[in-house]
Parts: sequence; structure tokens; C-alpha cells
Amino acid sequence: MPRDFCHGLLGEQLHRFSAWFAIAGGIVLTGMVVLVVISILGRALFSSPVPGDFEIVALGTAVAIFLFLPYCYMQKGNVAVDIFISRMPPGVQRAMDVLAATLFGAVAALFAWRSVFGVADTVRNGDISMILGFPVWVVHPFGVASFALLAVCCFYTAAETLGNAGTGSPGSAGAETPGRASAIPPGNAADE
Amino acid sequence: MSSVQLALIGLAVLIGLLVIRIPVALAMLAVGICGYVALAGFDPVLAYMKTAAFWQFASYEFSVIPMFLLMGEFASRSGLSRSLFSAANVFLGHRRGGVAMAAVGGCGAFGAICGSSLATAGTMARVAIPELERYRYSGSLATGALAAGGTLGILIPPSVALIIYAIAVQANIVQMFQAALIPGIIGLVGYLAAIAIWVRIFPESGPVGARASAAERVQALLETWPTLLLFIAVIGGIYFGIFDPTEGAAVGAFGAGVLAVWKGNLDLHGFFSCVKDAAKTTGMIFLILLGAGFLNIFMALTGVADQLSALAATSGLNPYAILILLLVVYLLLGCLMDSLAMIFLTIPIFWPIMAGLDFAMPEADLKMWFGIVVLIVVEAGLITPPVGINVLIINHHAPKVPMRETFIGVTPFLLSGVVRVALLILIPPITLFLPHLLM
Repeated sequence: MPRDFCHGLLGEQLHRFSAWFAIAGGIVLTGMVVLVVISILGRALFSSPVPGDFEIVALGTAVAIFLFLPYCYMQKGNVAVDIFISRMPPGVQRAMDVLAATLFGAVAALFAWRSVFGVADTVRNGDISMILGFPVWVVHPFGVASFALLAVCCFYTAAETLGNAGTGSPGSAGAETPGRASAIPPGNAADE
Repeated sequence: MSSVQLALIGLAVLIGLLVIRIPVALAMLAVGICGYVALAGFDPVLAYMKTAAFWQFASYEFSVIPMFLLMGEFASRSGLSRSLFSAANVFLGHRRGGVAMAAVGGCGAFGAICGSSLATAGTMARVAIPELERYRYSGSLATGALAAGGTLGILIPPSVALIIYAIAVQANIVQMFQAALIPGIIGLVGYLAAIAIWVRIFPESGPVGARASAAERVQALLETWPTLLLFIAVIGGIYFGIFDPTEGAAVGAFGAGVLAVWKGNLDLHGFFSCVKDAAKTTGMIFLILLGAGFLNIFMALTGVADQLSALAATSGLNPYAILILLLVVYLLLGCLMDSLAMIFLTIPIFWPIMAGLDFAMPEADLKMWFGIVVLIVVEAGLITPPVGINVLIINHHAPKVPMRETFIGVTPFLLSGVVRVALLILIPPITLFLPHLLM
């Protein structure tokens, strides 16, 4: 195992967490698919659709998409224009990747931070959905959690890319770099 | 500094960020947020960000995107692609170039139950490449046909790109689906014609395959019923107003999932990987949507789109010249960028330009007509160098064929696409006939 153990472990955890998030979102999505089908059948056969199905779908879509964001990032699903940078030397490419990951993390953290206030606002306003009276604030914490996880994933990626630069080739073993050291606590916290 | 100058600086920074490989969604978010702050100050932006993502994502209408993506994932696993290819092959395979024609036909049919160009190309390649190799088709024709065939799905509904365009210009999704069908079928016919001409010039590139008996033909045709049923249920239901698009997408995802389970191709593990793949694409699209939201606020505050639109309207240039110019820009951008990102990025600026020009048709018609033409041009980017994502996918399935040969192989299909775009521009009723009929 040439990889730094703690470092690799955190990466694995983040991959696993983001996959869990995505699967949870996928289950929400599948649930909405089934709900809509039931609603259509109800409308066609008994002329009684599921009441408020469209607002459940709207809120469910938000939950699912929030939950998808970290996985998309970890799978490098966010498209970028590759053709200019891919012709640069590896050092330049790595520097740009660190920059991109850091900026991504900063924006995600900003959204996570603001979403906390979004939760507070919606709780205070007591918004409810029109037909079912479902409390809308329940959806917002998914945004906080997903943007927070996304931010951690981004900063981890930045640190990992930087760490690889510090130790030469990605496979070579290395002493702990600051980037890695700072990345350890969340991993430990998750073990507790 | 005037707000127009600020907008131009913003666009320059955006392009700079894209060039250094900042993901498209992130670049749009960063520029959009900074521009918004520069024009409105910190407080409104910070307040807006509290719930901006929620309002962008919590939409009944937009739920069609993840649902159609899930449908495509299920359909790709269902094994339906094989029956589609076989059915096309028993009718076409005995002709010169017929197996390649069958691959294109299979792509078109699969596009009718799958919203993604990449998934269509990848799924059909798995089935068709071994057959094409068995009949000793030239590498460039075999891979070129599949790479190009994948792009047919973009116009044959359901199509995610079509939905995204409809969202970007606030067009009616149902009407877009209706408008796309005939141009999509023309595309299919045009691609078949391209193969026919290609094998006439290079007869050895597409040898004749086996001739099927009448009984085999009937048998193969009968086996395509699940796909046909799914397509009729989803698209028929949407066309005739029995479902709204979200309901159609839900029926499609449900039906494709049931078919995949029934065919024994979808267990729990497979289900998880389907939702994860759908999650990846959905996350990408909606983060770009969020970025586009911020960028659009910034651009709206600067009023640059209105100015450009006024400039275009008063320039005295022929509207068709401006249209061609925009299409050339799309063609060039398509060589560099993902098609969905490109639509989000350009439509807020290009659509007002189009809307300000006089093409002697109502705005709703213009949205459909422009959209169909733009999507065909944008999709060309999937099969042109240097990135050509469809070509990369096919190369993955046919590693023996060098990528250069595939790029040569797609040339006849690109030429066929040029003819199609010219036809659609010159004769708008081709696009508008069906939506007018069904309205």
C-alpha cells in the first residue's frame, strides 16, 4: 500500500458518503416515479389522483437533486472544457485542478452557509405546501448537508491533488503534508 | 464603468475560467455571483443565496429531467437494444452497407425510449459492433455510423437536450417534442442515405450481410413490442395531452424499469448503479442550471442582451445571415463544449437576438424552429474533433479502430446534417407542421 493510510481512508469515506447520498436521492426519485404512476392510475380508473402529487414531486425533486450533487462531483461529472489545459505540462494542469477544486469548495461552502439561514427563515415563516400543508422547511436541511458534503469533497480533492504534487508521482509514498494533515479530522470524526 | 462594460468583463472572465478547465457550472456560478454583487451589493445576493438553490430545484416541471435520465438508464440495461438492432438488421442487412444502416436505425429507435445521446450510442455499440466486425465492415463506416446514430436521439423525443432548450427559452416542452419528431425522422433517413451513397463510392467498406426469411422478419419485428409500447405510451400520451411531460417521464421510467426487471437484467445492485449514473448526469445539469440562474440575473441587470438584440435588429443585416452566423458560433463552440452546458450558456444571449429579428412567424413558432436547428448543429459537436464525446464512447467499445478513422467515418453523416439544416431553415413548415396539427 503505497498510499498514505489516513488520507486514502478519508477519500474512501467521502466516495462512500457521496454514493450513499446519491442512492438515497435515487430512492426519492424512484418513489416519485411510482407516486406519479399511482396518481395517473387513480385518475384513470377511479378518477381520484393522489392529492397534491405535484407538490410532493416538486419538493422531492429538490431533495433528490441536492443529494446528487456530491456524488456528481466525486465522479468528476461536472463538465469542463478540457482541450486547452490538457496540452499543458502536468504541473500546470495540477495547479489548475487545485484552483478549480478550491474555488468549487468555496462556492459550495458559501451555499452551505447561506442555506443554514434558509432553513432558519423557512422555519420561522412556517411555509407550508398549498394542498397537503407539508412544512416546506424540511427540504432545506438536505441542501445544507449536501452543500457541506460537497464542500468537504472539493477541499479534499484540492488537498489530495496538492499532496500528489508534493510527493511527486501519485503512487509514491510520502510524509504527511499540511494538506493531508488538515484533511484528517473529519475522517476521525466520522469514525466516532 | 457602464453596466455593459461590466457584462463584457464578466463574459471575458467566464471564458478565461472555462479555458483553464474550471467546470462550466462553477464558472457560471462564480461570475454570476460576483457580477450580481458588483451591481446590487452584498446583502441582496447573500439573502438570495439562502434559498436560491431550493427554488431552482424544487420544480414539478424540471423533474422530467431526472425521470427521463432514469428511464434511459433502465432502458440501457433492459436488453431492448438487441431486439431493435435485430429487427432493423433482418430488413436491411442483406443490402450493401445494410448492417451499418441497421445500426443507425437501431439508434433512432432506441432514441425513442432514451433521452441521452451518449447512452444511445454506447448501448447500441455494444450490440452492433460485434455484428459489424463479423461482416467485415470497414472500421470507419462501422464506428462512424454508430457515433452519428447516437446523435439522432437528440431530436427523437424524449430528449433531455430538447427539454433543456425548452427551459432556457421558456418554450412549451410538449410543443418542442412535437416539433422535433419530423426533423428527427428526416435525420434518420438522411443518415441512411449517407450510408447508401458511401457504400456506392467505397463498395468494399460495407459488404452485404445474410438475407433473412419472411418468417424471421416477422419474428424479429414482433420482438420489438416492448419498445414500441413504451414509446407509444410515453410520447403518444404526451403528444395527445393525456399526460403532462412529468407524468410521461414517470410512466417511461416505471415502464423501462419493469421491462428491465422482467427481462432479468435489473437486480438491486443494477438498480443502484442506474440511479447513481442518473444522479451523476442530473447533478451536472442542475448545477449548471443554478449557475445559469445567477449568470442570467447578472446579465439581466446589465441589460446587455437587450442591447445586443437591438444592435442586431437595427444592423440592417438579413435575419437569415444573422441566423447562419449564430449557427456557425454554435458549430465552433460545439467542438469545445458539452452540448447541454452550451445551451444554458448561450441561449440567454442568443435567443433575445433571434426574438428581435423579423422571420415573419409568431414567437412560439420561432422558438421551435430555431431550437430544432440549433440542437442539430449543437449535436454535431458530439462527433467532431477534437472532443467528440460520442466518438470517445464508440472508441471504448471498438478499441481496434483508431479514433482518426472514426472521425473520417462521421464525415458523410455531418454532410447529411448540413443538408438537413438547410432544408429545415428554408422550409419551416417541416418543423412546425406537427405542433400546429396537434395544437
